[in-house]
Amino acid sequence: MKAFLIKYISLFVCLIGFRATVEAQERSVLIPDYALVQHAGSIGYLSLGAGYELFDDARGSLELTYGHVPEVKGGPLNIVSAKFAYRPVELRVNNTITAYPANPGIFLSYHLDKQFGLGFDREQYGRGYYGWPTALRGHLSLSNEVAIKTGEKLKSVTIYSEFNVNDLYLVSLFYKNNKQWLSPFDIIKLGFGVKVGF
Amino acid sequence: MKSIFGLIILLFFTACEMVEYSPNQVFDKDTPRDLNAKHINQLLQNPADDTIRFVLAGDSQRAYKNASDLVNVVNNIKGVDFVLLAGDISDFGLLNEMEWVDEIFSRLNVPYIGVIGNHDMVANGEQIYKRMYGPLDFSFTYHGVKFVCHNTNSREVNFSGNVPDMEWLKQEFSPSAGVNAYVAVAHVPPFSIDFDKSLEAEYINVINSAPNTLAALYAHNHKEDVRYPNEQSVPYLVTQAIVRRQFLLLEIVSGKLKYESIPY
Repeated sequence: MKAFLIKYISLFVCLIGFRATVEAQERSVLIPDYALVQHAGSIGYLSLGAGYELFDDARGSLELTYGHVPEVKGGPLNIVSAKFAYRPVELRVNNTITAYPANPGIFLSYHLDKQFGLGFDREQYGRGYYGWPTALRGHLSLSNEVAIKTGEKLKSVTIYSEFNVNDLYLVSLFYKNNKQWLSPFDIIKLGFGVKVGF
Repeated sequence: MKSIFGLIILLFFTACEMVEYSPNQVFDKDTPRDLNAKHINQLLQNPADDTIRFVLAGDSQRAYKNASDLVNVVNNIKGVDFVLLAGDISDFGLLNEMEWVDEIFSRLNVPYIGVIGNHDMVANGEQIYKRMYGPLDFSFTYHGVKFVCHNTNSREVNFSGNVPDMEWLKQEFSPSAGVNAYVAVAHVPPFSIDFDKSLEAEYINVINSAPNTLAALYAHNHKEDVRYPNEQSVPYLVTQAIVRRQFLLLEIVSGKLKYESIPY
């Protein structure tokens, strides 16, 4: 567990370092605007990612993450995700603190491990035996963020929480008479994270 | 002030419940373990009587409300000793699904035994089942009747010839002390296209040649069925699915097995 954390922290530091080095040369659209670490939220016990701010007002975001669930936490699982979100409401608390209370989004998570796939083997199962890709989940999300302006080199630090539901949980909720037993709170899942803007 | 503090604590615990690492994680901090062993142990505490009455249900899949209604119906039937949930406990092989079904079936007044179905082997399902319920093949003897629960989901291993495990079954169905009758329990029935054709004849032979087999019990087809393979006297019973709100109530009295289908 300790080794796993160290691995993550060092990757995170490397990413920030890399960004800072490139900054010195020339700004490119391919270089991410921020790095992030997330705990839980259905994309790993811990995930590490890079994010881009989208649109002229920077209210949109696109993030790519790699997440890992260690064996002691119910893995091993390796997950890559692509997340899109929009921040429609901005609350400026003061010159340094800004809150984004409700940011809807969508994301895809893809499980890399061999027991998961995009389809089922046609030879083994024939056509349409099971109708869903086990590796790929579609999620709806709602996050809230508090961003703190920090300075020139490290522009901002943002803490956030993100609620999500995935496609399979949603079809379970809306299946037959299930709403009499299953509640939306059973299928809403949560994660937390920190973004560092540079 | 006190109530605000209480609310914060409540929110904190609600939030903890919502934390998920992946829908495919094998367990979380509350996942029960070894349910079958615990439930069998609980069942064996029952004092001996002359009737074994039990329920055969299957294919709960994602029909949570229907499963919950089944629990209410079974709790109102007198003298039920235990419930067999013969596979497809989950629909997508996800942890939350098995936890929800366990939450529902824990409300039974009697223990339940979960047998693995093909849907429970999808994605991480098999690992989740093993940790929550136990081995895929297991047996228990209740009042002299040995219930041999086993994995018949041959298609999930691409008909490799290892499922069902014939060597294990031969052992289980061989005569042993304290056993005067046998009941086979699995998910996929031997006459299904999802059962390994190369093992079908031998499988039926092992079950039917045991000293005194009362029945072989299955689910999977979502259609009630009874067959007598090889024109022998052993009934192969298939229960209707929980998804379709029906189950079988079985009774063993003086060495004879009777069954009745209960729609609800």
